[in-house]
Amino acid sequence: MIPFLREAVSGLFSKPSTEGYPFVPKEAPAGYRGRIVFHADQCISCGMCERVCAGGAISTTSVETEEGQLITRKFFLGSCTFCNTCADFCVKHAIELTQDYHMVARCEDDLVVTGTYLKKKPVKKAPPAACGQAEEPAAEGPKPREDGLPVQDPAKCVYCTLCAKKCPAGALTVDRAAKTWTLDEDKCIACGTCHDVCPKKCIIM
Amino acid sequence: MFKKLIDNSAAKSPWLFHINAGSCNGCDIELVAVLTPRYDAERLGFKLAGTPRHADIVVVSGPITAQSKDRVVRTIEQVPDPKVVVTLGSCPRSCNVFKGSYSVVGPLDKYVDIDVSIAGCAPKPEAIIDGLALATQILKEKRGAKE
Amino acid sequence: MEILIKAVYILIFPGLLFATVFGLWLAGIDRKLLARMQKRVGPPVLQPTYDFFKLLGKETIIPANAAKVTFLAAPYVGLISLVVTALFIPIGGLQAFGGMADTVVILYLMAIPSLAIIFGGSASGSPFAGVGVSRSMVSIMSYELPLILVLLAVGRAAAYGGYTTFSLEQITVIQQLTGPFLLDWRLIPAAVAMLLVIPCEVGAHPFDVGEAETEICEGPLVEYSGAPLAVFKLSHCIKMFIMTALFTALFLGGVTTGMLWLDVIIALVFCTIVTVVSMTLTHAVMARFRVEQLFKFFWTVVSGLALVSLILVWYV
Repeated sequence: MIPFLREAVSGLFSKPSTEGYPFVPKEAPAGYRGRIVFHADQCISCGMCERVCAGGAISTTSVETEEGQLITRKFFLGSCTFCNTCADFCVKHAIELTQDYHMVARCEDDLVVTGTYLKKKPVKKAPPAACGQAEEPAAEGPKPREDGLPVQDPAKCVYCTLCAKKCPAGALTVDRAAKTWTLDEDKCIACGTCHDVCPKKCIIM
Repeated sequence: MFKKLIDNSAAKSPWLFHINAGSCNGCDIELVAVLTPRYDAERLGFKLAGTPRHADIVVVSGPITAQSKDRVVRTIEQVPDPKVVVTLGSCPRSCNVFKGSYSVVGPLDKYVDIDVSIAGCAPKPEAIIDGLALATQILKEKRGAKE
Repeated sequence: MEILIKAVYILIFPGLLFATVFGLWLAGIDRKLLARMQKRVGPPVLQPTYDFFKLLGKETIIPANAAKVTFLAAPYVGLISLVVTALFIPIGGLQAFGGMADTVVILYLMAIPSLAIIFGGSASGSPFAGVGVSRSMVSIMSYELPLILVLLAVGRAAAYGGYTTFSLEQITVIQQLTGPFLLDWRLIPAAVAMLLVIPCEVGAHPFDVGEAETEICEGPLVEYSGAPLAVFKLSHCIKMFIMTALFTALFLGGVTTGMLWLDVIIALVFCTIVTVVSMTLTHAVMARFRVEQLFKFFWTVVSGLALVSLILVWYV
């Protein structure tokens, strides 16, 4: 009991170890995962974040307009585990978990982070004309397409099917036996995942 | 004068009652951390009450499990007015990762009105202090609304 | 005129108002210094006052299976008996009501608040209260014996003409002649015993088996809310004042400067110091006793200390 007594009396005359938080602002340590910030302009609507979210906190709504789809992505922080998986999977780094920990709300809307962006309709060109133009410099390999969709270089491709497996939209079909690489242009969202994963770097964007 | 004194005291002496409705213990530990010497919520008047009858603020953590649902609702009913219900962490607000489990019947707002939600999994003690400070504000407002 | 002075005594000076204010001050000091001993900032000294007024503004819930009248009357009975007790304790030589056998009266009156808590708890119809009530009874039995022995020892030390006294007035007068009893080596064990009896009587931390917050949800108070709870909490604060004032009268009395108001202030400062030493320090350094440990501790160690003093006073 004597050591406790000494501790208590010394505590009485020493500075308290309490932090002054509500009166003194405090930063979260580096690497703390707090409030989500969504950079809507970088999103390519691959939907990967929504698929990997453990808490089911991410939802998407889209409205059809003349110019294209108006897509709103909602992050409900009241359902978030702050596991960072969505940010890890986002190929465009459109999701960021900041150090802001002040997530207190009286109503549900204060806990929702949203971002809206316009997904333009793909500009379809007449395939023969495009092919005809691309015919001449074919010796140096294919050129990147103007609408940002991926192009495969058959000279380098080994048909490993990795790109098709990784494609979040399921737009790629690769047949190893027939050595074909086909792209469904309507499904493709031009996320660049295939480009990133290709071991031979044969997909050009 | 007397009424003003009581109104002012209401925001200065909020007693907490903590209900664990199937929480993973993360939020519970953080709530206890708020009461430790480092964060010392007692300097703002917060005190952990032993029974719901003494409480002003009910802090619920955890998704509402089927077993705990009746008890949570009954315990919150036992708290005398004015009272504030605070959800700690994501679970009582939305069931979080336990959504869809056979044993989880949350979220809490199906059964009682939630006044303050503190998000985070688990929330930082500072965030909990923020939430409780907001709760005392509501406590004062509710007293004004009552009379 | 006589009645008016009595009314002032009862309602204002050592009575209701003063006991309330000073009790809340003692409780605030206790909480603040306890926090500082635990290296915290701690609540403001006015915190118990805020708690009291907040509880007055809360809804009062009466459980369905409670005995309504007893449940609501118990806290007020306890408070009234405490206010009456306050009148019998000399503060700096000022005693509102005195008599031949103050200490016996105080002993009886101090049992009533504890009994009020027991009645209130039993009336609430909660099993937690039931457990708390039985534990409270054990704690009453624990501290009564050493308290009686301490009072006897002090009474014997203040004996005049060979008769052991029960009058606090005489104890104060004798101390004015011989100096405070705390400086009398024969009475030091009794003073230590009294310092240990104070927290048990008040129901403060290491000896709060009856109202163990973390174990049995504050025992008899489990079903109380609103104003009755506020009165119980206030009774707790007033008990702190009465017990420390009793200690001051028994062991630190007779410090006189000739001016009554200065004597009173000195006595109140002593009360505060006794609170810090006996309640805050024990709270900070000790964990709660179990029921049987409490009983054993008080009937062996504490009673033993008081008995040693009594024997020394009687024969040395």
